[in-house]
Amino acid sequence: MRTGLTTSVILHAVVLAFGLFTLSSPPAMPAANVESVAVDIVPMEAIAQSLQGDKKAVMHEKPAPLPTKRPDVVPNAQKVGENSVDTDKPVTDEAKPKPVEKTSAPPPAPTPTEKPAAEDVPKPQEKPKPTPATEVAPTPTPKEEVKPEPVKQTDPKPAPAKEPTPTPPKETTAAIQKEEVKPDAVAQAIAKEQPTEEAKLPDSAPAPEARPKPQPQPAQAESAKAPDRKDAEKPVKEASSKPKSDEKQFNADEISALLDKQKPSGGGAKRSTQQASLGGDKDQGQKLSKSEQGALEAQLGGCWTLPVGLEGSENFVVVVRFNLDTNGKLDGRPAVEKSSGNRQFDESAVRAVQKCDVAGLQVPAGKQDIWNDIRVTFDPREMLGL
Amino acid sequence: MENIALADPGAHLSIWALFMQASWVVKLVMIGLLCASIWTWAIIIDKLVAYSRMRLALNRFEQVFWSGQSLEDLYRTLSDRKTTGMGAIFVAAMREWQKSFEKGAKSPLALQTRIDKAMDLALTREMERLEGRLGFLATTGSAAPFIGLFGTVIGIMTSFQAIAASKNTSLSVVAPGIAEALLATAIGLLAAIPAVIAYNKLSSDANKLAVRMEGFSDEFSAILSRQIDEKVAQKA
Repeated sequence: MRTGLTTSVILHAVVLAFGLFTLSSPPAMPAANVESVAVDIVPMEAIAQSLQGDKKAVMHEKPAPLPTKRPDVVPNAQKVGENSVDTDKPVTDEAKPKPVEKTSAPPPAPTPTEKPAAEDVPKPQEKPKPTPATEVAPTPTPKEEVKPEPVKQTDPKPAPAKEPTPTPPKETTAAIQKEEVKPDAVAQAIAKEQPTEEAKLPDSAPAPEARPKPQPQPAQAESAKAPDRKDAEKPVKEASSKPKSDEKQFNADEISALLDKQKPSGGGAKRSTQQASLGGDKDQGQKLSKSEQGALEAQLGGCWTLPVGLEGSENFVVVVRFNLDTNGKLDGRPAVEKSSGNRQFDESAVRAVQKCDVAGLQVPAGKQDIWNDIRVTFDPREMLGL
Repeated sequence: MENIALADPGAHLSIWALFMQASWVVKLVMIGLLCASIWTWAIIIDKLVAYSRMRLALNRFEQVFWSGQSLEDLYRTLSDRKTTGMGAIFVAAMREWQKSFEKGAKSPLALQTRIDKAMDLALTREMERLEGRLGFLATTGSAAPFIGLFGTVIGIMTSFQAIAASKNTSLSVVAPGIAEALLATAIGLLAAIPAVIAYNKLSSDANKLAVRMEGFSDEFSAILSRQIDEKVAQKA
């Protein structure tokens, strides 16, 4: 036994000594100094989102502002931006020389002459005018009555043509001339006062392209410019017909103000003073997520009662389309977009939407834009679990 | 709070350092397991030597026994020295035989029974000597892993307490404590595995030797029975 014990002790001592030397402090594992990669979970919608803009435009850091930021500028605006005018122009690189000249040339010309005239003369003269008109009226034919009134009413504010007009009626009252003489006198007066400026005016008149209104301007210019060529009655009729519609709105004095001074370039971001950023035709940013769609369908399913006694109703599927306003209330009647073929069934789906609307649909806040147009598929198997 | 030193990153991971860092319970377990391992190996070596010697002795005795030498001569030579195995059985049987015939046994049947008893006794004593201490191997083989595991659990408990105290869960804090704790299990397994293997081998070896000796004792009993019958017939 002693031999066994001694050999065992010696053996263990040898093994331990060997282990202490060889198994001491194993080499440190080489850990690569790599920075950990951060993994983010991004919803698919965040990638598919795009804001309204122009497809050809360069991408900007900041997109054109949304309409909701300044709803007070144009309440019924249809385009995005912050411009005062709702233009629909495409993007061009630079402004064309023509419109710049046209728009820039006329303003200086009319202002010096027209404004003083309009401020000083017409207001005091307006009141006396009707009286001479009435005075004149009995003597000439009714046509004459019609004619001077529009001329005066339209004229008093716009300067060049109207200054002469008040004077000739006095002459007419005095001399009792015929109507044909008046336009001549007007034309002469205009020719005397500002032959050069008026020559410019007609050029500037056709310039505003976007406006439907500018037609009256050339007409007046023509009436002022070319009474000699045409009959006196035609311009009169035109003048008489126009004031009836635009009596209060139209103001020849403000033509320059009405002119579209916006450069044709920089379109795209429709009413924005900023350049358009890269984007699609529509805002596609916000969409109903699957869970939101599911929540909506669950609500509608709770309001849905299948028509009683309808055989095989679980086989029908109807797509109902409806609009919600910003408060989440139903806007208009829900429409059956894709009928199931069974009228009762379709009506039950429509009623479900209306019933839920009365009860109050719970819609997530902040996605008012997309409640505008919702399609819901009414499938009894999915909604009611049939 | 000495265990906060575990936060020292990977500095002292040699086996000796691990042992020294361990708490006293774990140290005790490790030392106990080491002693068990030493004792196990001592037994293994001892038994291996003893069994090989026994086998040699059996072979030599059988050779002598079946050489045609007279039993009295053989007894005379063997009775002087210390015998093992078959020799011890033979000596025990022959002693009983001599005692009975010197005094003139009356009943041959009783003599046969006495000789058998003496041989059984000698066989049992030989087997006890052969299989002694094999039980320790069995115990070590089954219990050492659990003892090592106990040390590990204690070590991990203390290391977790140290982690809680240091309020740091980085691997460099956790690892040394766990390595130290696992050392206890390693030592336990180190002791248990040879013990189990050796126990199985040694017990089967002992069985073989026992079978051999039982076979000899039966054979010798038959020879002695024949001798008794011859003596009785001569006397008659």
